[in-house]
Amino acid sequence: MAAMITLTINGKTVKAPEGTTVLEAATDAGIYIPTICHHPALEPEGTCRLCIVEVSGSLRQGIRVSCIQEVKKGLVVETETEQINKQRRLILELLLGRSPDTPYLIDLAAKYGVTTSRFLTGESNDCVLCGRCVRVCRDEIGAYALCFANRGSARKITTDFERLSEYCIGCGSCAQVCPTGAIQVEDRGDQRKIYTWDQVLARFKLERCDHCGTPFAPKKYLELINKKAYQPKGLELVDYVCPECFKKRDRVSGRRQAAALRKSVVKWSVPR
Amino acid sequence: MNSKKSEQIVISVCTGTGGVAAGGYKVIDAFEACLRDSGLSAEYTPRTHKVGCRGFCAKDVLVDVAMNGQTATYQFVTPERVEKIVAEHIIGGEPVKKWLVKQDYHDFHSKQQKLVLANCGRIDPESIDEYIASDGYQAVRKALKMDPEKIITVIKESGLKGRGGGGFLTGIKWESCRRAKGDIKYVLCNADEGDPGAFMDRSVVEGNPHLVIEGMIIGAYAIGSTEGYVYIRAEYPLAVNRLRLALDEAREKNFLGENIFGTDFNFDIKVVLGAGAFVCGESTALMTSIEDKAGEPRPKYVHTTDRGLWGKPSNLNNVETWANVPMIIEKGAKWYTGIGSETSKGTKIFSLVGKINNTGLVEVPMGIPLRDIIYSIGGGIPKKKEFKAVQTGGPSGGCIPASHLDMPVDYESLYEAGSMMGSGGMIVLDEDTCMVDMSKYFLDFCKDEGCGQCTPCREGVAQMVRLLVEITEGKGTMDHIGILEELSGMIKETSLCGLGKSAPNPVLSTLQYFRDEYEAHIIEKRCPAGVCKALTTFTIDEEKCTGCTLCARNCQAGAIFGEKKEVHFIDQDKCVKCRICYEKCKFNAVQKG
Repeated sequence: MAAMITLTINGKTVKAPEGTTVLEAATDAGIYIPTICHHPALEPEGTCRLCIVEVSGSLRQGIRVSCIQEVKKGLVVETETEQINKQRRLILELLLGRSPDTPYLIDLAAKYGVTTSRFLTGESNDCVLCGRCVRVCRDEIGAYALCFANRGSARKITTDFERLSEYCIGCGSCAQVCPTGAIQVEDRGDQRKIYTWDQVLARFKLERCDHCGTPFAPKKYLELINKKAYQPKGLELVDYVCPECFKKRDRVSGRRQAAALRKSVVKWSVPR
Repeated sequence: MNSKKSEQIVISVCTGTGGVAAGGYKVIDAFEACLRDSGLSAEYTPRTHKVGCRGFCAKDVLVDVAMNGQTATYQFVTPERVEKIVAEHIIGGEPVKKWLVKQDYHDFHSKQQKLVLANCGRIDPESIDEYIASDGYQAVRKALKMDPEKIITVIKESGLKGRGGGGFLTGIKWESCRRAKGDIKYVLCNADEGDPGAFMDRSVVEGNPHLVIEGMIIGAYAIGSTEGYVYIRAEYPLAVNRLRLALDEAREKNFLGENIFGTDFNFDIKVVLGAGAFVCGESTALMTSIEDKAGEPRPKYVHTTDRGLWGKPSNLNNVETWANVPMIIEKGAKWYTGIGSETSKGTKIFSLVGKINNTGLVEVPMGIPLRDIIYSIGGGIPKKKEFKAVQTGGPSGGCIPASHLDMPVDYESLYEAGSMMGSGGMIVLDEDTCMVDMSKYFLDFCKDEGCGQCTPCREGVAQMVRLLVEITEGKGTMDHIGILEELSGMIKETSLCGLGKSAPNPVLSTLQYFRDEYEAHIIEKRCPAGVCKALTTFTIDEEKCTGCTLCARNCQAGAIFGEKKEVHFIDQDKCVKCRICYEKCKFNAVQKG
């Protein structure tokens, strides 16, 4: 059990285990801090800069990003000062400039009173470059199918050489973590397509369930589950069972497998 | 022939980047061929000698001829001129006066204080023996007999500050890296010099690579590191080759490797080629790049001295910082603190470029008045134009206007004036430079060269560029200035890394000193310097035009008409505003407005 640290957020005394971030501590205490690039399942990267907070007390007074700053004894955090909100509004306005038609961003910006943008870029791109998809693919799945291309303002999300990815396993995690729905997964018959606003990232043939015959998951994905969930336990995934059929089978032995496969029926695509 | 028989004649030819580009190697070949044919070799043993950059690249190829205990320096030497120099000077004993360097060469050097660059341009950078012969590798021998803590104390007392831009006290950095917990520690050298118009580090590595290596060995010993990396720009092939050669030579002599200098200390240095991105010069981005990842900065809430390269304590210093270390160890902190200003110690190398007569590399003591650099060393502004400002600190720096010419050049004064030391770029601007256009250039550079991770820098800088483009096109409003200031503040406060935090500086400092120029663009729709094409028209003053036809002959657009010895005129529909007529006219008859 990690030692508990006491700090102050917006005048409220908050206790959090050592090693947690200010953002986590605030969220646990019911204090809202806006963020786009942060996702609880992913390592924080601190790039969207929306979660900025003002710190003082045991740290030199200044602005820090709360998704990276760890809690510290005696830390005093203010999440909604005038200065912080001023900068936040400007960041939101900039993002709105590149994604003026993205519902997620419109809602988030509206929370801070930003409804129009002086920074329209002339295009409307759902991707806000938060990088969640790249991180989940790289750090959690280990597929390295998605990456950032180019530098500076030309940065974008794509696959290697902007071709159909060889490394994508078709799990759809990218679409699931995408806050804006810029990445979509579409299953049609036994074909799965993963695509963005301007590029098809990968295509797959879905394997059929050995029991009901419904196409349900790409082979590479099932292989990964076999490798990550079965083989470490000395098991081997021999038959393909879709999640629906799983529920009907022997519940005791199937529970673990069902848990592993449940991901594939989650509605990962945020509706546009 | 009046030389003594035993005397050796040494012909030193500049083979820095400037020298090589101007034909340095061809000049060496020409000398060798000429000396062979002259049949002198047996008796007088003249030898050619390649040396690094001595700073005055504008006069390359520079050649020193040392004989009779005297050294004569030639400028603009070409292979064709070699024969005459050999015949008249080396054989005849009389220097070829018309090709010798002029007063400006001596002025360029007289106010400089060459410590780091002392051996650049004097020794052969590809020979470890020459470095050793000029007391090289003495400091490290001394250091290895010292207690590591004592070395850190000396560096701390010397007041040496990081020369790469941050200006952090080197001794403090070393100390925190030494104190950091970790089985492996790294010392890193940042040779990823990317500022436009900067070539300080390049010249040091090309001219005296062993100095940097020696500094790194001392640092590694003091910090307790056994592994070093030099992250060097792949765009510097000559520097890379010379550095690699120097490392091989040092390994051969057991100055690197295991049990170096006969002690039980092990240390070696690897060379990593830069990935061609400006942002890779930022410390954390440099480290991720060495780790074979995309060179993108990481948030630095934990210092890299605690968790840097591969999560291990890492000490990163710039080339010039490392190159300062051996002399501090050798001559002591007290000697070092005697040089420079109250708060900034030692010397600083600047690359002096732009609208300046003596373009080149200069090393001056900290605290020297800016005026001395521009006028005494730099020789003033060409074509008798007026000095407007000097841009220091690269794309992240700012402008120092003419009113500040007498300020001392050190970390603190530059910062107070709204600019920064940076790594030592100094771009001189004259009256024909438009400050809005210049800000646009630097912001555009940052827009393309930032990594693009964080929103403020990626989106904000791109928007600032858009606003500046609109102003230079005459579409600006006074609101543009307000929005520029608003964005600048936000980007400075909330960006992830140093590049973003300093990207708005060129705009902020030009707004501070040259706001009237912005306003002229916006309100009067006029570019005072006549640079912004949309806001400039060129006309010919009928009173002054002599009809010499020079402008018409040079006009690439065919926009100038007029008979010989009669007043010319410019067809505004055809004029592409290239400024050639303005530059060419000898009678100031071409007016911009």
